[in-house]
Amino acid sequence: MPTLQPRETFLGRHFAPHHLFLTGALLIPAFLFQPNLVVRVAQVLLFAFLATVNGKRIKWMYFVIMVSSITIFNLFTPFGEILFTVGPLTVTLGALRSGLEKGFTIVGLVFVSLASIRPDLRLPGRLGGMIGRVFYYFERVIEGKKHIRPRRLIESLDEVLFDLYQPGERRSTTREALRPTSSVGYVVMGVLLSVNWILVFVTSPLPF
Amino acid sequence: MMFDAPRREERAGPGKAETLEFIAFMGALCLFFSTLEYLFPKPFPFFRLGLANLPVLLTIKLVRARYVLLLVLLKVLGHGLINGTLASYVFLFSFGGSFASAVAMLAAYRLGGRNISLVGISVFGAIASNVVQIYLSVTFIFGLTAWVIAPLFVGLGVFSGVLVGLFAQQFYEQSRWLGGIRAYFAAS
Repeated sequence: MPTLQPRETFLGRHFAPHHLFLTGALLIPAFLFQPNLVVRVAQVLLFAFLATVNGKRIKWMYFVIMVSSITIFNLFTPFGEILFTVGPLTVTLGALRSGLEKGFTIVGLVFVSLASIRPDLRLPGRLGGMIGRVFYYFERVIEGKKHIRPRRLIESLDEVLFDLYQPGERRSTTREALRPTSSVGYVVMGVLLSVNWILVFVTSPLPF
Repeated sequence: MMFDAPRREERAGPGKAETLEFIAFMGALCLFFSTLEYLFPKPFPFFRLGLANLPVLLTIKLVRARYVLLLVLLKVLGHGLINGTLASYVFLFSFGGSFASAVAMLAAYRLGGRNISLVGISVFGAIASNVVQIYLSVTFIFGLTAWVIAPLFVGLGVFSGVLVGLFAQQFYEQSRWLGGIRAYFAAS
């Protein structure tokens, strides 16, 4: 169950949340411009590893079903060389490749997002301030959760809600200072971005 | 002799700051209910019960449409930040589905008035959310063949919409906390 309490992870120790977000944002084009399917699958595995290092639990079965279903749906629009036929379905190389590319791209983007976004990432402006208020109350609600009884659900929910919020009141919140990015973090950031961007140019066909 | 109508600030009840604070609290409840979804078994991998919609449903009868839409924005952004899906297709689906649902529920409430219950409003929202999510999945992920799953998903959406609506209706009628909030907002 997700909470706002950040787990003590490698990326959490060495990256400020906005630098981690920036790293993810710069990895996305390097991933999308990657023309080689094998390298793209390797990037997906790398991003999955990074998401795990960021404290996220990955539901592998969900993503296997995701890639498989996208690929299968793509096979219904055949194009390119015929590989084999299964009953009425003709499996073509073009449709298979396109389906796998699409499936792995979508799953890879989810993993980049899981790896680069933490709850302590602060959005700018008034909206960011509102999100801060939402997270403040969310932590209080999670604390009150243990008092909720399924057998007298509405009654027990009422007790928790009365305790947390009365109309017209405004509770003060304090924001904790964010940990800065360490030198190790900058090195990891540099290596990740260099490797992924170099791979784009190495695997792309030359324009001349 | 002419009398000026009382200014909005002079009336009893919430001003803008109090309403925003209430919306922030309801946003937290949306996030809380979305974490409760993990406790329920899913018959299908992509199926969601839509419990996070419950606070939105309750808020529709209390505040203006723009605050309801702000609540939906806080819900999807907060969810994207907590789960780390802010930069992925999951966020796009959540954003599209949630806003379509909110607009449909607001329209149903505006048009239906007292003749429509929270169950009805919830069903409208669930159908709108599912249709938009199917459209997005057809456009961006699965292709045109994915329309074959539309009847199943809309059917499941109606089912979950009824369940969430029934609970919302019961909570709306029985909760003393919400009763206090309703009285407070009715004064504005």
